[in-house]
Amino acid sequence: MANVRQISVFVDNKPNQLAGVMKLLKESGINIRALSLADTKDFGILRIIVNDTDKAVETLKNALYAVTVTEILAISIPDSAGQLSRVLDILGSENVNLEYLYAFTGASDKAVSFVIRVDDNANASAALTKGGIIQLTENDIAEM
Amino acid sequence: MERYWNEEIECMPREEMKKLQDERLVAQVKHVYENVPYYRSLMDEKGVKPEDIKSTDDLHKLPFLTKADLRDAYPYGLLAKPLSDCVRIQSTSGTTGKRVVAFYTQHDIDLWEDCCARAITAAGGTNEDVCQVCYGYGLFTGGPGLNGGSHKVGCLTLPMSSGNTERQITFMRDLGATILCCTPSYAAYIGETLHDMGYTTDDIKLKAGIFGAEPWTEEMRRSIEKSLGIKAYDIYGLTETSGPGVSFECSEQTGMHINEDHFIPEIINPETGEVLPDGEVGELVFTSITKEAFPLLRYRTRDLCVLSRKKCSCGRTLIKMTKPMGRSDDMMIIRGVNVFPSQIETVLIEQGYSPNYLIEVDRVNNTDTLDISVEMNPDQLSDKVKDMQDQEKSLAIAIKTMLGINPKVHLVAPKSITRSEGKAVRVIDKRKLHD
Repeated sequence: MANVRQISVFVDNKPNQLAGVMKLLKESGINIRALSLADTKDFGILRIIVNDTDKAVETLKNALYAVTVTEILAISIPDSAGQLSRVLDILGSENVNLEYLYAFTGASDKAVSFVIRVDDNANASAALTKGGIIQLTENDIAEM
Repeated sequence: MERYWNEEIECMPREEMKKLQDERLVAQVKHVYENVPYYRSLMDEKGVKPEDIKSTDDLHKLPFLTKADLRDAYPYGLLAKPLSDCVRIQSTSGTTGKRVVAFYTQHDIDLWEDCCARAITAAGGTNEDVCQVCYGYGLFTGGPGLNGGSHKVGCLTLPMSSGNTERQITFMRDLGATILCCTPSYAAYIGETLHDMGYTTDDIKLKAGIFGAEPWTEEMRRSIEKSLGIKAYDIYGLTETSGPGVSFECSEQTGMHINEDHFIPEIINPETGEVLPDGEVGELVFTSITKEAFPLLRYRTRDLCVLSRKKCSCGRTLIKMTKPMGRSDDMMIIRGVNVFPSQIETVLIEQGYSPNYLIEVDRVNNTDTLDISVEMNPDQLSDKVKDMQDQEKSLAIAIKTMLGINPKVHLVAPKSITRSEGKAVRVIDKRKLHD
């Protein structure tokens, strides 16, 4: 199962910092598929999944942003009660530790997609497959 | 193979140097007493006459001059020559209050530039070199001093002044500069910009840098040496004594040789004024024994350092001073503890952070606070917030270990702290606003 690459960008917790990143991506024609911003008093970590990871990383690095790429899992589950709980049960039963997760909109309004950051991608991915959870590839996400 | 600009002076046996200093001091005290009413009255108050100063052994009998005297006597009160004999004025940056102006005759300019020529030669400079001077030109002594020294040595001189960093790099590359003269913080910025522009040290011909005019640490030296691919030499001076070149570093890089034929150093206890023996930390005091227009006797620099007569491998016999631990002005007292920005800089560089930082001191509910903004290291970025907060915590612990007080560390984005093209502003003390 191919993991999905997520880009993290360090942004100061000050006005216009996020706008700067967005403007840069807009100018490079990069489309953001999923986004989450974790913030502290001093700074934020912007996490994004885009349609062209290599180009986005190059653009951000050229503009002297601090950037790192992490492999995460992305899943698509039916938009109905109890679905996420099922996913977490599967991960929990395999002793996979969940660092964070966030939802994003997929191609269908009958399904919802999640980015899942865990401490053991291989183990988690195998468990999700076994549990019948649909995992998305980077390509799936780019083409949404 | 060590090269000297003036081997006879730089390697003069101690006894001969003392004799030269004795003669020059006696004549200088007489010159000042006769021509500077301000200093004459200080001597009279102390009951010291020029005849009492027979050699450098009597130096301690003379009264001190302080920055406050220079302000009181502004602008002409310490002038020892008619203005018609003077050819130049230079001035301090005025960051700590009223400006100080210094006057120079042509003889004074010559001896100052000669001191700078010694520094450039000690850094390996010859008439084959291209010397890029990016200290500010103008009233600030950095640019004019090194420019003059570079001419004396016969280097092809690039009088860039500070600023426009990309252009500095273009000139450096196109004209093959081999020696760089600027403040250490600007050197660090030039190195950073070079790499940001996509170049490496292979794209430039620099071999040496002569950096001064602000305190910098050994760690900062190594980081500049690496980023520019050079050997970095320290240079020291102050407008009050002439400008850069009062002392300079040799290839040993263990302190700066003082041009003792022009400036006699003493180390004193800053509280009592008592002269301390070589090897002890104290305030550096200079007596100019050759300058004509603005000859300060026993001027208190407020720089804290140590003097050493230990034999130097370069062959020079000139006494050495350690890198100043910081001007006594730079010292902050935070929760009763003495703190120098250089201590914090040492920790930052050791921990792999850039030397760009901002210290903010304030007082909240009668307690001093210390906040340090540091540019995060892009190689250490994690997608997990906790990892980044751990970096802040471990840096705070390292600084606490060094200083003994707890700081608050704030990671900020790379390149977000304003770079300095001259003397860097690293401390904002907001407590002064409340006083």
